[in-house]
Amino acid sequence: MSTYGTPGAGPVVYDPVTLPADDNVNSYTFCVELKSGQWFLQKGKMIAYYGAIEFNGVGHGRLDRLVRTSFHSPLHASDWVVAEGSGKMLLADRAFDVNSYDLDDGNLTIRAGNLLAFQPSLAMKQSIVPGFLTLIGTGKFVAASNGPVVFMEPPIRVDPQALVGWADCPSPCHHYDHGYMTGVLGGLRAMTGFGGVSGEEHQFEFVGAGTVLLQSTEALMAEAATGAVPSEPGVPGGGGTAPVGHGPQSSGVPRLPGQLGDLQRRFGL
Amino acid sequence: MTFREINSKMVEATVLPGQRLFSQRGAMLAYKGDVSFTPNVQGGQGGLMSMLGRRVAGEATPLMTVEGSGTVFFGHGGHHVQVITLSGDTLHVEADRLLAFEGTLRQGTMFMGSQGGVMGLVRGQVTGQGLFTTTLQGQGAVAVMAHGGVIEIPVTPQRPVHVDPQAYVAHHGDIRNKLSTALGWRDMVGRGSGEAFQLELSGNGTVYVQASEEKL
Repeated sequence: MSTYGTPGAGPVVYDPVTLPADDNVNSYTFCVELKSGQWFLQKGKMIAYYGAIEFNGVGHGRLDRLVRTSFHSPLHASDWVVAEGSGKMLLADRAFDVNSYDLDDGNLTIRAGNLLAFQPSLAMKQSIVPGFLTLIGTGKFVAASNGPVVFMEPPIRVDPQALVGWADCPSPCHHYDHGYMTGVLGGLRAMTGFGGVSGEEHQFEFVGAGTVLLQSTEALMAEAATGAVPSEPGVPGGGGTAPVGHGPQSSGVPRLPGQLGDLQRRFGL
Repeated sequence: MTFREINSKMVEATVLPGQRLFSQRGAMLAYKGDVSFTPNVQGGQGGLMSMLGRRVAGEATPLMTVEGSGTVFFGHGGHHVQVITLSGDTLHVEADRLLAFEGTLRQGTMFMGSQGGVMGLVRGQVTGQGLFTTTLQGQGAVAVMAHGGVIEIPVTPQRPVHVDPQAYVAHHGDIRNKLSTALGWRDMVGRGSGEAFQLELSGNGTVYVQASEEKL
């Protein structure tokens, strides 16, 4: 590890000049250089700073314009602050691996708990996948991961816990694998529960062109609130009351799960 | 090579038709191709008797069988992963440290008391390994988990190696291990160095040690 320098030389000592600008200090710390600029960062992820930097909660009157252009998740504004001023700022998160990513007129969706900071030139929005945030535009952002991040090309199926994010829009969907639940032995297994489950029945599937970001372990980082989505019909996870049954044919009778079809529908009522 | 280390915490395994892999349940991170994961009731290989043996020995870890053709990525719990390739010799490892291993390896259970008698039992207690440990024998590769990085220390007849029991991960080769104690009056009055028990490994082979005293 270069962090420790040559053996016997002692630890590397940084000062404001030798600290890297917008780069990793080591795999667990990232240094952001501010030149009278602004960065969004998650609360509590700044570990040290040099210079004159002011930290303001999102939602202050003065920052209204900034929030309007690049912060589109009003309900979790309380988790974010804006760093403003000149100097160098060190970011870290519980000794997780930290990396920066450059977006060039692109889009990337990331697990809300993994995003540490981003440049205001990026617009942050809530993804329609609950718990994820989407960054759109050009700029740099910093994300943490439990273990180094691995980039994969679709088609791929990913364990839900190992997924960090995805870029350039492959379409994520759920994939259920119950192959071994079929057949005589499988039926017995499903009925009695004997034999257990492999723990891998449920995956996220990505197809199409793009990149999938994986963290190398299944231990999750703490979930950060993404804020509640508006309660409207048609919004996933929005809690809007979906119409029961099938469109105009729905009657007031609730459908039981596993039912093949409503009697009414079969008789064309 | 079936296993390829992608980084310190993740391995890539190539699954080919007709070849089987065993892995700890829930340790799959991602896969490409047509791969199926089947929970394994028996917790590994062998017949009904091996399964009973493992249950009795407390070495029955939830495993699943990985079959098909494609690429699978394994990792678990943020632990470091070490790939060990065996060429005919026996690897001694605790069952819950097994991340994945090739189906060509023969899995067995060993009674700790058979090496070192009563001291072997004490060793099992001190290391937290219990009275039994898992053995893997044959040609193939194993991915083993450890807390913190793993270092590989060769053991030669002239140079026995002393290891902290909590930092011990696995060993292979022709190795005898015994627990050596350095208990003195200081330990009795609670002023010990905290290193009263050590594992002494002698013979010819390799021992794997993790850079942490935390158990999995």
